Amino acid sequence: MGEPASMGRLKSPLRLWQLLAGFALVTGALLLGTMIGPVSISPAAVLQEILGRLPFVSVDSGLDDRMAAIIWDIRLPRVLLGGLVGATLAAAGGAYQGVFRNPLADPYLLGVAAGAGLGATLVITAGGSVDAVVPIAAFVGAVLAVALTYLLGAAAGGRRTGVTLILAGVAVAAFFTAAQTFVQQQNGDTVREVYSWILGRLSTAGWSEVVLLAPYAAAAILVLLMHRRLLDVLSVGEEEAEALGVNTGCMRLTVVAAASLGTAAAVAVSGLIGFVGIVVPHTVRLMAGSSYRAILPLSVLGGAAFLVLADVVARTALSPTEIPIGVVTAFVGGPFFAVVLRTSGRRT
Amino acid sequence: MSAVTVSGVSVAYNGLRAVADVDLGVGPGEWVALIGPNGSGKSSLLRAVAGTVEYEGDILFDGVDRRVVGRRQAARQVALVPQHPFLPVGMRSGEYVLLGRNPHMGYWAMEKVDDLRVSMQALQRLSAEDLAHRFLGSLSGGERQRVVLARAIAQEASVLLLDEPTTGLDIGHQQQVLDLVEDLRREKGIAVLSALHDLTLAAQYADRLALLDGGRLVAEGEKSQILTAEQLARFSGARVSVVRGPEGQIVVIPRRAQRA
Amino acid sequence: MRGMLRRWVVLWIAVVLAAVACGGDGDRTAAPIEVERIVSASPSHTEILYALGVGDLVIATDLTSNFPAAAAETGKFDAFNVSVEAVAAFEPDLVILFYDPGDVVEGLEALGITTLLFSPPATLDDVFDQIRDLGEAVHRPDEAAALIDQMQGDLAAVIESIPETDEAPTYYHELDPSMYTVTSDTFVGGLFASLGLENIADVVDDGTGFPQLSSEYLLQANPNFIFLADTKCCGESEDTVAERPGWDTLDAVSEGRVVELDDDVAQRWGPRIVDLVAAVAGAVYG
Repeated sequence: MGEPASMGRLKSPLRLWQLLAGFALVTGALLLGTMIGPVSISPAAVLQEILGRLPFVSVDSGLDDRMAAIIWDIRLPRVLLGGLVGATLAAAGGAYQGVFRNPLADPYLLGVAAGAGLGATLVITAGGSVDAVVPIAAFVGAVLAVALTYLLGAAAGGRRTGVTLILAGVAVAAFFTAAQTFVQQQNGDTVREVYSWILGRLSTAGWSEVVLLAPYAAAAILVLLMHRRLLDVLSVGEEEAEALGVNTGCMRLTVVAAASLGTAAAVAVSGLIGFVGIVVPHTVRLMAGSSYRAILPLSVLGGAAFLVLADVVARTALSPTEIPIGVVTAFVGGPFFAVVLRTSGRRT
Repeated sequence: MSAVTVSGVSVAYNGLRAVADVDLGVGPGEWVALIGPNGSGKSSLLRAVAGTVEYEGDILFDGVDRRVVGRRQAARQVALVPQHPFLPVGMRSGEYVLLGRNPHMGYWAMEKVDDLRVSMQALQRLSAEDLAHRFLGSLSGGERQRVVLARAIAQEASVLLLDEPTTGLDIGHQQQVLDLVEDLRREKGIAVLSALHDLTLAAQYADRLALLDGGRLVAEGEKSQILTAEQLARFSGARVSVVRGPEGQIVVIPRRAQRA
Repeated sequence: MRGMLRRWVVLWIAVVLAAVACGGDGDRTAAPIEVERIVSASPSHTEILYALGVGDLVIATDLTSNFPAAAAETGKFDAFNVSVEAVAAFEPDLVILFYDPGDVVEGLEALGITTLLFSPPATLDDVFDQIRDLGEAVHRPDEAAALIDQMQGDLAAVIESIPETDEAPTYYHELDPSMYTVTSDTFVGGLFASLGLENIADVVDDGTGFPQLSSEYLLQANPNFIFLADTKCCGESEDTVAERPGWDTLDAVSEGRVVELDDDVAQRWGPRIVDLVAAVAGAVYG
């Protein structure tokens, strides 16, 4: 990671073994996701099929066109999308926790979820060909909501601290959610469609969604990772950080912009998948310490693995019916917080 | 040229004036102690110099307005040791001291070997290198004070601002901290501007005193001129006797009221 | 005297039918004496009403009642958000519903308005029962019988024209783009079954009759025919489904056996079920 490994007796907060373990977890999850599905294809055949596409490797998996299509056109893009979405949401959540100095912050904090929900609902209820326009509307809605939050926070006057921004976000989210609920209720015939979008799903994924999300996810994750040292500086408080030469307002804007763009793009293609943005960074924090040099990179890897595995559960638990992935992550999220609550009493 | 020049500086919070039109200068290697009753504006003045509150007037470092040089450059010139520093319990002391290198690093940059070396030296200077791997939450009061000071030293600034550095320390540790600052001052020629409520200690370590009251600078200059029973009675409402100790140092002794 | 007797007979028949109907009727009050103003919140029954010849008595229909064209001229309201007052404002003698969003039937009956709540049918016989019931309610029993005869005749003709096949053709019937489908246990599935078609969703029925499939399962099942009942609501067509990931490897897609149906015809249970059956038979055997 480019970190000097030791400072006398001080070791880098991010250890090599943690990074390797993270990569191993992601790779394992991706393989598992590609091998498991409603149609049983032997794991060996899956591996052969994937290897066969590598240059200079000629291996025949013996699968016919349709089975191969299942792997390449359905499962592979789906697990990759799950990985990208999970990585982005977890990185955004971790970054928000750092920039707002609140371990319970999540990427939907500043109204992103509510804005995306409203955009998607408006398009779905307007009817017609749905799939093409919904992601755009969701993205625009999300970005508008965050912009509105910032404007509202500025209009509140005084120094725009983290707290005023969060409060502005709550106000914007409440308003957009109310509007979204109203529109949804007025169009009873599309309720199921809207609801299914809101719960989040990776099931419509093809390579087009992956290609759509990839640049946003990559850019967002990169920018956020590059802020990991600054987030550590910020952890001593805004005032002291300013005395240490950090322009906290500018930094917060950059982090929020990157995180919001990434989250908006993720939400646009996969709906509102909750809990990833809180559970993963928080778990990493409990296991690897509170330095963002560890939390951010490990959250990227952990988020990817987590969502891919959650998707496997969503696809197979009640096969062939799919559980909306937002439900699976919620089932994990609830008990997770219960455990955190119990253990936090014993900590410090 | 003064290391720090405060010129006509005022600080107000929501219309409430905390510092009113103060002029003050600290020369290179000089130690000026701010004294005065609670709420007289000592902390606010220090924060203005550190750039963490908005102020009117001018603050110059080596003759250059701090507004002109920008936040990062200013942090290379002045380091603040706050009264109640926030110490993240999950952070190790070594990482905390490294934070002091931020002014010397680019926005996206990570620490270089040089930064690690300076930070380690700062800890060694304060006999605290053993604390490097320890979590901040596990440190005692005296250890914490040394770590915070190490962070300020790592900034390699020419001006050190201390906001009540003796808060919460027993007398032994109080002396330890102030002695360390004194050593640094001699070694590196750092200018020190400190807020100290303990008048005797202020008299022992500072070259000059500046007395603040209600945000105004009411007296400034030689210790013996400022620390008189009359001045102190007028501004602190305290009953004191000012005497000389065995080595000739000024000692301020509180006097109890006579009760029948 | 004869008129009075006839009305009492109608009343008793209606009550008896209500008692013996299976999966047909649901709640209803006694049929009124005169029916001159009808409100229909069910698009299927709107079509039936017009087929029975009482279209001129229909004064208001719900937003989705778009067939026949004359139904578009009536007063309109939203069946999913219907309020008792809005319906009562039309001053109807008879209100027909297929879905009660909550206490609408109760509310209308409290105002003394006759309501008929029909549940979606499970079998073809249920459809004929509903036509019969509706015919009784609007005093057109003969027209109802004639309509039923005609429908049965048309259906029989189609079924007779089906050639013998060694293997039953398999099919997938899509209700919406998220791949909800029907099993043979449903009304529509039953129609397909009567045409000798085998439904690929039967083995995965989750008990509701309307399971959701996945693209993977579909690729494995590789049905001979794909029927799209989401062409109007959601813009699906032969071309759009061919673009779905992996679907281009399906035989039905590559060999042009994706059949676009009219949503309304495929999802309602009025006189046009004959059209549906004819369209399917034509696509498969024609």
